[in-house]
Amino acid sequence: MPLVTPSLATIIFVAGIISGSLGALLGLGGGVFLVPFLNLILGFPFTAAAAISLTTVIATSSSVSAGRAGKQLINMKLGMLLEVATAGGSFLGGVTAQFIAQSVLQKLFGIVAALVAAIMLTRLRRRNVILDPSADPGVLGGRYYEEESGTTVTYRVKRLPLAVTASFLAGNVSSLLGIGGGIIKVPILNAWCGIPLRAAAATSAFMIGVTATAGALIYYGRGQLEPALAAVAVLGVQIGSWGGMRFGAAASSKWLKILMAIVLLIVTVMMFARGGR
Amino acid sequence: MTAEPQPQSASQRLERAVGVVLRAGVTLSTVCLAVGAVWALAAGESGGARVLLQIGIVVLLTTPVARVVVSIAQYVSESDWPFATLTTIVLVELLASAVAALLFNKKL
Repeated sequence: MPLVTPSLATIIFVAGIISGSLGALLGLGGGVFLVPFLNLILGFPFTAAAAISLTTVIATSSSVSAGRAGKQLINMKLGMLLEVATAGGSFLGGVTAQFIAQSVLQKLFGIVAALVAAIMLTRLRRRNVILDPSADPGVLGGRYYEEESGTTVTYRVKRLPLAVTASFLAGNVSSLLGIGGGIIKVPILNAWCGIPLRAAAATSAFMIGVTATAGALIYYGRGQLEPALAAVAVLGVQIGSWGGMRFGAAASSKWLKILMAIVLLIVTVMMFARGGR
Repeated sequence: MTAEPQPQSASQRLERAVGVVLRAGVTLSTVCLAVGAVWALAAGESGGARVLLQIGIVVLLTTPVARVVVSIAQYVSESDWPFATLTTIVLVELLASAVAALLFNKKL
């Protein structure tokens, strides 16, 4: 474990601001940037990086969702249902993280991220909305007001078993790799389950707090979480996600998708570079 | 059709309650972590700073758990049994993680 110095704390604080703003913008949680930074650039043990990252992921989820609650953008029912899968996956991931070779999972994650990026790029114009506002969204569907177009967006949830499976895998990867898992859920919910990107990102960000907690508790219990460094990372991420959330409201869905695909490809390269060693 | 506004307002009440829990948890943990971090960096990792940092981390980790508990209470009060059950399963999974954390801690 590296020694806590003012300069190290400052570096992690700034890294937190950057990953927090990117995370809020993309609905990813920010861990995809923080884990490789702490592990590859600062040379933290992988478990220490994952533990700090999971803590910031929880903070991001809580603050972003607190700001969004009441706007009906978060699909609470779908979120609660899928949390059964993400929390279960995260619990199993947190336990097995101590026994499985990380490099295997990192390579697998790289392949999944690349596939998802390709899907995002081929489905840029898909809207996934029912234009008749009086249409019945069903028990799990949703309805929210989109500021961008000034219309009420209604959608139904399709292929629920796929959403549940993706959520379980996302939860598993979340606690194994120290990320939120939105990177897996959001594209699948958007591309195949009929959920508009904005609602998918908001619901995912909401679920991520519970998902990451299931994993973070295990790292915390094992003493792999350095409180002082987690604190500065959390504070940086809080500031960054606040900024990213404000900017995110003005960003268009199309550019969010393109940006997200690019991020996924960068993650693929980083995962292979790390897993290949 | 007359029953239509009922689930809508129930979901809005849940959103508000969840929003309050999340905001309270984030505010409390952020204040503890900020004061603790500044204290630790200014005066070295003293006992007080360490305690504040630990409180901040624990509050942060229990905020999503509290949000799940509030959701269960809300679904039970609305007699929405399918979702009360699903949310209870989530709580059990979180408690399983806490138990696993304690077991791992004892082994080391």
